[in-house]
Amino acid sequence: MSCLIVQSDKTLLLEVDHELAGECRRAVAPFAELERAPEHVHTYRITPLALWNARAAGHDAEQVVDVLLRFSKFPVPHSLLVDIAETMDRYGRLRLEGDPAHGLVLRSSDRAVLEEVVRSKRLRGMLGERLGGDSVAVHPSERGNLKQALLKIGWPAEDVAGYVDGEAHRIDLVQDGWELRDYQRAAAEGFHAGGSGVVVLPCGAGKTVVGAAAMAMTGATTLILVTNTVSVHQWKTELLRRTTLTEEEIGEYSGTRKEIRPVTIATYQVMAAKRKGVYTHLELFDARDWGLVVYDEVHLLPAPIFRMTADLQARRRLGLTATLVREDGREGDVFSLIGPKRYDAPWKDMENQGWIAPADCVEVRVDLSESERLAYATSEPEDRYRFCASSEAKTAVVRELVERHSEGQVLVIGSYIDQLDELGEALGAPVIKGETRTRERERLFDAFREGELRVLVVSKVANFSIDLPEAGVAIQVSGSFGSRQEEAQRLGRVLRPKADGRAARFYAVIARDTLDQDYAAHRQRFLAEQGYAYRIADAADVLSGDEV
Amino acid sequence: MTDNAPPDLHGPGTETPGPGRPPTFTSWLRERSDAELAALLSVRPDLGRPLPDGIGALAARATSRNTVLRALEGQDAFTLQVLEAVVALGDDRLSEPVGATAGELADALAPAASADGGEARRGAVADALQGLLRSALVWSDRDRLRPVQVLRDLLPAPARLGPPARVLLAALPHGRLKRLAADLAPDSPAPAPVEALARLLSDPAGLGALLEQVGEHAHRLLDGMAWGPPHGTVADARRDVGVADAGSPVEELLARALLLPSGDDTLTLPREVGLHLRAGALFRETATAPPGFAGTARDAGGVDGFAAGQAFTVLRAVEELLESWSGEPAAVLRNGGLGVRDLRRAAAAMETDEATAALYVEVAHAAGLLGADDRVEGEWLPTREYDLWRESPPERRWLRLAQAWLDTDRVPSLSGSRDSGGRVRNVLGPGLVRPAAPQARRDVLAELATADPGFSPVPESLSARLSWRRPRRRSPVYTELVDNAVAEAALLGFTGRGALAGHVRPLLEGDPEAAAALLAGHLPRPLDHVLVQGDLTAVAPGPLVAELARELALIADVESTGGATVYRFTEDSVRRGLDAGRGIADILTLLERHSRTPLPQALRYLVSDVGRRHGRLRAGAASSYLRCDEPALLDEVMGDRRTEALGLVRLAPTVVAAAVGRASLVDGLRRLGHHPVAEGGDGVMRLSRPEARRAEPVEVPPEPPTVVPTAERVREIVRAVRAGDEAATATRHPVPLPEDGPPGSRAAAVLAALARAAEAGRRMWIGYTDTDGRQAGRIIGPSAADGGFVTAHDETRGAVQRFAVHRITALAELEEDDRTATP
Repeated sequence: MSCLIVQSDKTLLLEVDHELAGECRRAVAPFAELERAPEHVHTYRITPLALWNARAAGHDAEQVVDVLLRFSKFPVPHSLLVDIAETMDRYGRLRLEGDPAHGLVLRSSDRAVLEEVVRSKRLRGMLGERLGGDSVAVHPSERGNLKQALLKIGWPAEDVAGYVDGEAHRIDLVQDGWELRDYQRAAAEGFHAGGSGVVVLPCGAGKTVVGAAAMAMTGATTLILVTNTVSVHQWKTELLRRTTLTEEEIGEYSGTRKEIRPVTIATYQVMAAKRKGVYTHLELFDARDWGLVVYDEVHLLPAPIFRMTADLQARRRLGLTATLVREDGREGDVFSLIGPKRYDAPWKDMENQGWIAPADCVEVRVDLSESERLAYATSEPEDRYRFCASSEAKTAVVRELVERHSEGQVLVIGSYIDQLDELGEALGAPVIKGETRTRERERLFDAFREGELRVLVVSKVANFSIDLPEAGVAIQVSGSFGSRQEEAQRLGRVLRPKADGRAARFYAVIARDTLDQDYAAHRQRFLAEQGYAYRIADAADVLSGDEV
Repeated sequence: MTDNAPPDLHGPGTETPGPGRPPTFTSWLRERSDAELAALLSVRPDLGRPLPDGIGALAARATSRNTVLRALEGQDAFTLQVLEAVVALGDDRLSEPVGATAGELADALAPAASADGGEARRGAVADALQGLLRSALVWSDRDRLRPVQVLRDLLPAPARLGPPARVLLAALPHGRLKRLAADLAPDSPAPAPVEALARLLSDPAGLGALLEQVGEHAHRLLDGMAWGPPHGTVADARRDVGVADAGSPVEELLARALLLPSGDDTLTLPREVGLHLRAGALFRETATAPPGFAGTARDAGGVDGFAAGQAFTVLRAVEELLESWSGEPAAVLRNGGLGVRDLRRAAAAMETDEATAALYVEVAHAAGLLGADDRVEGEWLPTREYDLWRESPPERRWLRLAQAWLDTDRVPSLSGSRDSGGRVRNVLGPGLVRPAAPQARRDVLAELATADPGFSPVPESLSARLSWRRPRRRSPVYTELVDNAVAEAALLGFTGRGALAGHVRPLLEGDPEAAAALLAGHLPRPLDHVLVQGDLTAVAPGPLVAELARELALIADVESTGGATVYRFTEDSVRRGLDAGRGIADILTLLERHSRTPLPQALRYLVSDVGRRHGRLRAGAASSYLRCDEPALLDEVMGDRRTEALGLVRLAPTVVAAAVGRASLVDGLRRLGHHPVAEGGDGVMRLSRPEARRAEPVEVPPEPPTVVPTAERVREIVRAVRAGDEAATATRHPVPLPEDGPPGSRAAAVLAALARAAEAGRRMWIGYTDTDGRQAGRIIGPSAADGGFVTAHDETRGAVQRFAVHRITALAELEEDDRTATP
């Protein structure tokens, strides 16, 4: 009798209070994705991708079956074990290899599989000449497309064709006053050993540092793709601080500047920009002989970048992300084009180790006034969310909450500019929104970071890749329809380690009995699944001074 | 007595052995103890069906060809060799004494010189003989063992030996016999040449002498035939040669009767000669034990757990399937089977593939849990048995399925294959019956049971052992049955990772109780608690007790099943619970009582949020309404029993809804003496007076102020209401009235009953038709009854009245409460 229960839908339930839970978690993590981590029972899911990730990491079916049998509280259904063995067996039957005579070949240890693949309609045109019974030539330009297509037909190929070294460029870490944390080192080494792949670390765990360490190990010119301009600047600052790279060695390739240097940081937006139906900045990929391409926030990688990445398969690729889950379900493309998962650390574990501040989530429910309720009931469907989310009743609650946390740094986050302006006025705090100029934005962030500013009101532009070390409290007044993605990011904002180890607070102010509350239910579920304490409070209680 | 063999003095017979009569199989059988007979009937159950009416009948059946063939099928390779030895040596056509002793047999099967220790082998021979005696394939005549006679035909060449010399000699022409006898045994005292020659050949010294006379070539010929087959082909086998004129080696042997013709060009080595040449050993190789198992030794506990898991999966799947079919049954095909589409649906319901689904469906059917209803367009539906089955503990449920699978002669794995006519065999349809299937299953499981616990043999090893264990069954059909049995056993939880599960062993030994107990130890026990979590899920870490499972399924959605069940609470699911009559408090109490963990605050909020909004608005159906500013008037209307037909429901003190339409409502109320006015949908009065032409609109005069009823009137109403209610609802005991007696008897009976009531001061209920012809029930307190009239206090009216006896249609006594008498 142990702590794991295997379900027929291939989910695994782990009783976390069990004495063997820790051991079991470590044993299960390589081949199952953590799906939900509420307080008592965590849910892992065994997917083909997870199993193939495990295969790529060197685990075999026997080990997986053993883990299930060893930890399972109840007997494991026969069919599931058979299925696991069969699925895992599919990975590695096909290998993409370098061949001195033919360049790139697809080789198979199983002739029947190769036969199936060669005859597949989906792969027509990707494969070249048949070289004997167990291999077939592949045009180097099809390396990425082929891997994508093979994954879709269920025969993921192991890519051992190797990488070009690229233009050598010495990069060293400068560890003065900081040190590479153990897991950061493990992540970088895991990546380097595999050549390409994805490192999964929660927000605040120092993904930039992992990127820098990977660059130092590769020792080559590097192209870094990030989500937006602010992020470009942060990467640059971090690299200058953590490595021997100098200002002259780092280029910025964005809407405003087009520098190409040994280390170049570009935004996805620029890369995906089209003029007259043509991607205008594609030449960046060929501008230098890049030895490494880093994809920041790989779960947000836009579709055009996937297509471009398919042509970059000979270069080392590092994906960095907080979650492998993509809202668009393109996890398979990340697997085949960027690479398998090379390192993963459960969010909650990092928190327990003290790298991330624990967060405490409170939902404050305000009542709409009679007139607001009537207006809400009669408003057009497309305006309803906006109406309830920007209810005036929220202002008083936000003010009260800000006053309560007079000690800490408070971020107020929302989606609607009018509401944010109003709140900014009520709180006497500056508002950062889309139209705020980058320079002003950075000035305000700096001031906030220095503690000169205590309260900052931000729109969703602040959701990605900004670094606000001392934001201990976040108050969300409106969000874009309960996206899981956004929640993770927002929570990431406040999950920064704080000097005194206080718990971070995440407030969500919502209007009762409206769409706002429905969306909050999604958020509540997501956060609870992430293992955070979640409470609900009434605005009246908050305003009357009750502790929440 | 065999059907096709003539009665034989030495064979079995039904005659009673008298003094001096040689013993027979029947007489041997008669001397067996009851325990021995019981043992015989248990190893050869077909002897007991139908019930034999005596030892004679039993003996006849035990020696009939078919039952003996069946018995042979159950023997292992070594026992068959021992049996062949008995047949070879104990043949009654060999020379006297008839039969073979156990010692001789042991010598023949386990030569003392053999390397592997003669003792163990002799023991094995003795054991095998015991078994053969027990199954009455061999019987003993004092210490000599003899085969039942039909075996002579069934095993025509035991140990690849030829027939006894006597048989071969008997077929020779008389002249040839005389010549042989003259050549070889001129001085024999035997009366006939056959006998003389047979005795010569069965005498080792005589035979030895004959053999010494032949040349080296002839010896080589004999050696080639010694270990069988005992036949050789030669031209003109029946030639007449003598010792003197024998030219070739074959003729040397023919002249000495060392080879005898058995056909025009076939020569056969007589059994006696063959035995002599083999120098005492009957077989070159004997295997006293099956070949060893090859395979993997696994942890027995793990294997049992694994198998139990599979068993549990089967139970869940079958329940899942039958539950789904009880709502949406599958159609019965014209041939009685289950359609492919329905099978696919079943597989989806059970979360498994179609082959496995086919097995589960067949087993559920074999266990009587699934049946076709007998309508023309039939449907497959769970049976009543299923309801009982579902209530029993899991190990019992499995046993039922397991037993059904062991015993069914249908082979589920054959479904989906095509028969010789190219038609697909449907699940539950015809074409799946294989009478040998139950035996094959038991063979497989019994063979697995001979391995150590947890040992998982490779398939080849299992089939090699089965070939030794049941050599006479070997056939492509049997091999297929074995393969199917192995596969099905794994899916049903008889085996785990290829090894036999511990709980199956007692089942094979006929002890289902022990099997249930063992299996129960591995099956998850039903729990009565869940873990409720902040993401609004409840996890039942194991199967739940039925009641809790039912309640949870009502207030939460099942998200995943398996070893555990995950329930998710949503607004909809909670509302479903409230709709089913559970209150907020009920739900929270249930969860608090059964949750191992404190209820998360978010769940309390969810339940109370839904509860707060649930039922705030209530909807119903009505056709018209009645409103009135005076609640008292509505009280009156509601109190009037005559308004029953209008289907009135009081919604509020001043509003009543009616089931009938507005026109009927207005008419009905008018008949009762009220004056309702119709109202339009906008609440404006609709007056339906005739449209008279007028010059100018006339103002509607204000309604006259309503008269406030006096207190007395109110009391009357109340009393009337109560009395009417009582008359309608009071428990009554009808007084029987003679319907078709002599004229006047009915009235007399009514009068008598009412007079008794008046005397006793009891109230009575009467059915009364008033002068307007209206029928109503009333409660009266009679005070006097005379002259066709009853004077009584009518509680409904609150007044004393006279009732005509002939108008009283029914009469009943009231079940009195404390108000025993009227004032």
